[in-house]
Amino acid sequence: MIIMASALPTFTKIAKVIRLNRHGCTNRPFYHIVVQKTKDNQDGPVIEQVGSFDAMPNNKNEKLVALNFERIQYWLSQGAKLSDPVAQLLGLSGFLPNHPRTIIQAWKNRREPPRERKIEAIKGIAPPLDNPKL
Amino acid sequence: MFGSSGSRVLNVINISYIQSRSKRVWVRKPLGSPMAKSKIFRITPKPVLPEDEKAEIKRLFDNYKNSMKSIRHYFFEQSLKQAESGEVAQMKHRLEDQEHERLMEENRLENEKTAMLREERLKIQAEKTQQNVLASLIKKEGEAKLHEIQIEDFLTKQMSTPFIQAENIEKAIEDALANPVNFNFALDLNGYVYRGKDTSIDTIPEEKRERLNSN
Repeated sequence: MIIMASALPTFTKIAKVIRLNRHGCTNRPFYHIVVQKTKDNQDGPVIEQVGSFDAMPNNKNEKLVALNFERIQYWLSQGAKLSDPVAQLLGLSGFLPNHPRTIIQAWKNRREPPRERKIEAIKGIAPPLDNPKL
Repeated sequence: MFGSSGSRVLNVINISYIQSRSKRVWVRKPLGSPMAKSKIFRITPKPVLPEDEKAEIKRLFDNYKNSMKSIRHYFFEQSLKQAESGEVAQMKHRLEDQEHERLMEENRLENEKTAMLREERLKIQAEKTQQNVLASLIKKEGEAKLHEIQIEDFLTKQMSTPFIQAENIEKAIEDALANPVNFNFALDLNGYVYRGKDTSIDTIPEEKRERLNSN
């Protein structure tokens, strides 16, 4: 078996990244927000778990996100990079400024009609949004 | 398809040390394989954006990158400050101070020791120099005295020589005129003196020859 990049002794530093690791099952993704070395696999060794993101909306039509802001701040101070989805989530949460992609996606959604979905939005406490694309 | 073919060399990219059998391993298309028939004549439509939209996107990204840069810098500064003020740092400072004190104490003791040694050395040296100085002074005094005595002797000698004073001058002239000194003389290899300018050797007999006395 070939050894992972982070397991080899390197004299160059491998950068660290805060990104989403897909867990969960088939057709039911659940992401861990995680600090890893860039060279490692998505399912490879993890330095620290720093939150979670459930992509499937729950009973109340919410997508739940958990973030450990203190640790994220620490890793950013140590020079960790952010992947785009994580940056977007942090922007939506208010910790960082809004990512341009959120804004771009918003105006695109306003322009185009929403595409058809197989799964209907569940009606609950939170009213279903006009544009299910969001 | 590519994962299940056994005869081909699989181009596996990211290999995990931890084997997971539930997932299908991601394998890229083998490099030598040709383009799929459904994709040969495909021309992908290039996404065209209007200029103002492009400008807006660029503006958004520039602003975002700018703010992210400053935020990262700010977090870094905060971490430095925190490192300075945190518990670990305080304990480190305390330990460092203790170490410093201990070393200063050690240094002080060492200095005292060397100071004692130095004192003794300097005392001995002072004694020596004092003795030397005394000896030299005594010698100088002795020499001065000797010098004085010599001067006195010389003076007395000079004074004792018969100088011609104003009173003696006439007498001296008369004496000089009366006794003229003849400096003419000749010497023999045997050591005999023949005085006078015009004396010939034959006229003087052998007995009356003067012997040269070196005074």
